[in-house]
Amino acid sequence: MARAAARSHFRRRRHGYLFVAPVLLFLAAVIVVPLGWAFWTSLHRIRGIRVSFVGLANYGQMLADDAFWHSLGVSLAFTGASVALHLGLGLALALLLNELRFARTALRIAFLTPWMVAPAVGATIWLWLLEPQFGVVNWLLQAAHVVSSPVAWLGEPATALASVIVVDVWRGVPFVMLLMLAGLQTIPAEQYEAAAMDGAGAWQRFRFVTWPNLRYLTVVATTLDIINTIRHYDIIGVMTGGGPAGGTEVLPVLLYNLAFRSNRFGEASATGVLLLVLVLAFAVVYVKLAKLDRAGGG
Amino acid sequence: MQVRPFLRMLASIAALGAASAFAQQPIVLQWQTANLTESQYEPIWKKTIAEFEAANPGIRVEPVLVARKDHWTKFVAASQAKKAPCIVSVDLTTAAYNGYLMPLDKYWNAEPASWRHAWSDDMLKASRWKGQLYGLPIWGGTYAEIYNRDLLTKAGLDPANPPKTIDEYMRWSKKLSGADHWATAVLGGRTDTTTRVLLTWIWANGGEAFNADMTEATFAKDPKSLAAIRMYLGMAREGLAAPAPTTTNYLEQTNLYAQGKIATMRNAYWAIAKVVGDNPAMKGKSVVGPIPANVPNAPTLATVTASSISSSCANPDAAWKFIKFDAEKKWAIERARVANWMPLRNDLADDPAIKADPLLEQFVRIGQNARSYPLPHPLWADIAANDIVDAVQKALLAPEKTEAIFRDLDTRLTKKLRDI
Repeated sequence: MARAAARSHFRRRRHGYLFVAPVLLFLAAVIVVPLGWAFWTSLHRIRGIRVSFVGLANYGQMLADDAFWHSLGVSLAFTGASVALHLGLGLALALLLNELRFARTALRIAFLTPWMVAPAVGATIWLWLLEPQFGVVNWLLQAAHVVSSPVAWLGEPATALASVIVVDVWRGVPFVMLLMLAGLQTIPAEQYEAAAMDGAGAWQRFRFVTWPNLRYLTVVATTLDIINTIRHYDIIGVMTGGGPAGGTEVLPVLLYNLAFRSNRFGEASATGVLLLVLVLAFAVVYVKLAKLDRAGGG
Repeated sequence: MQVRPFLRMLASIAALGAASAFAQQPIVLQWQTANLTESQYEPIWKKTIAEFEAANPGIRVEPVLVARKDHWTKFVAASQAKKAPCIVSVDLTTAAYNGYLMPLDKYWNAEPASWRHAWSDDMLKASRWKGQLYGLPIWGGTYAEIYNRDLLTKAGLDPANPPKTIDEYMRWSKKLSGADHWATAVLGGRTDTTTRVLLTWIWANGGEAFNADMTEATFAKDPKSLAAIRMYLGMAREGLAAPAPTTTNYLEQTNLYAQGKIATMRNAYWAIAKVVGDNPAMKGKSVVGPIPANVPNAPTLATVTASSISSSCANPDAAWKFIKFDAEKKWAIERARVANWMPLRNDLADDPAIKADPLLEQFVRIGQNARSYPLPHPLWADIAANDIVDAVQKALLAPEKTEAIFRDLDTRLTKKLRDI
């Protein structure tokens, strides 16, 4: 009986399955197979082309390694600071652009430019801007008497981490700004008019009209931005390679260094799987929020 | 008309056409070395390829241009995918241990003895792993101390008598340093050049970084080694070396030297070509001296760059043909003359073209007492570019912890050296 019902269900939907099949196959080829391969690799000790099965030993080794925990700490610091600044500045710029009555399109394009530049290209430009001897940043700061001698921005762990955060903020703010601007433009003008009639000032309009309307979008943007930033490699890879002395070695950079500098593909894959678990945790939060949104209707 | 014979004829013509088209396809050999992107070498490799292809019409050589810092990474990734370029110059022991290279004994032994004698046994030793030959030494680089003649004269120092001891070098360094210029650059950037220079300091002070069979690291264990590390890295703290040492490498070092920001640099002959390329006004302004040492007969470091065939190469015969062509005297002299790379063939020492260049002759003389580099351990590429550099960076950032940092390095490296 149940089998007959299932058969009838499949027969009714077979065209749907047929249409979806190419996409499913494509996703399997570009996501499921590489992920499965990475997990399989993480269960092996790989030395060049010699491979031996070691089970979960690579995971044990990574979790017992100080370098992993150090990188996790750097990752969290980098992600926390970057996301906070993306959101703060993104929201401020969106509010500014939303209020503007002239040059809005030109400014929107101008603010979006960093997002359009390939991250590796942007990072290379910043690398030269921050160069201690010949860089423009030091030249400007010295001309303005902010610093008395050139600063080796990428030469110390603290300034190097701050520098890569600044570059990531430069690159990441436009995306958040765009999301927030879209959110701002969906707020009905009547709400502001009603608030104005009640005598609300600019701050009160923001607090009681704008913010409640943007709250859900902010949570979604935060979650998406965390997922995007925590797995970020290119800017740090190009600018510092994780140095100096591991000061900017976020998890993706550690993974890259393990795989391609130290030739330890098994340990690198284990790190990749652990990073994936971390990203998935945030993805679950995002999916739950999306469900809540659907249930709440707005 | 009968259909079957006609179809048969058509199929034969098609097969013939396909076969001849296939037969006309040249063999394509990819060639990857870290040096193809260096401007001073470009005219030579382009000429080498052109002449080789003209002499071997069935073979095409395709250069793979990879930045030095990505060279090893890309080679490893390609090797893992079994798609590595056929002809490569990489850290030979590490690559051979990992199975990325093909033994060349079959080709080497088939060559006439007269040709093989151009390479000394010592030179070939650096290209062997577990008794098998994995590369043909093509060029080398002896590390020496290179000085800017004008800056020495300006500081009241005699360019004809460069310092012989480390103490003397330190005295010179003080005279050569000022508010916006420094005696030298301490290298702490993330490539193995950092390790090369550190080793020259350790050896110059009579220390050792490893025991004889490379099963133990002795950076901190050997007091002379630790003292050398302290002296060298201390130059950054004392204002005798350019700022930002943790980001300084070959590129930054030669840039600083070319712009007159530093007066001396420890490097090989090729650095002079790079400096002149960066700033043509520097032509003829460099003088060379041996590495200042506190012990007699301290060896310097000489890199050996060998051409190898990757284990995934589909056309090793053609690849060997190119390696042999590239190793000819003519190209060795061209490389020395134009790119400042020292020839490793022992039948070139008296060549007039080599003797005509006094700087090159001096490098050859200094190189008579040199240890070959990379050091012969399968994990060397990882150790040299990561562990040692990491320790150097940490010590530069926290000089008071230098001993603890290098003790920790000794422990980690010793464990690593034994885990192969």
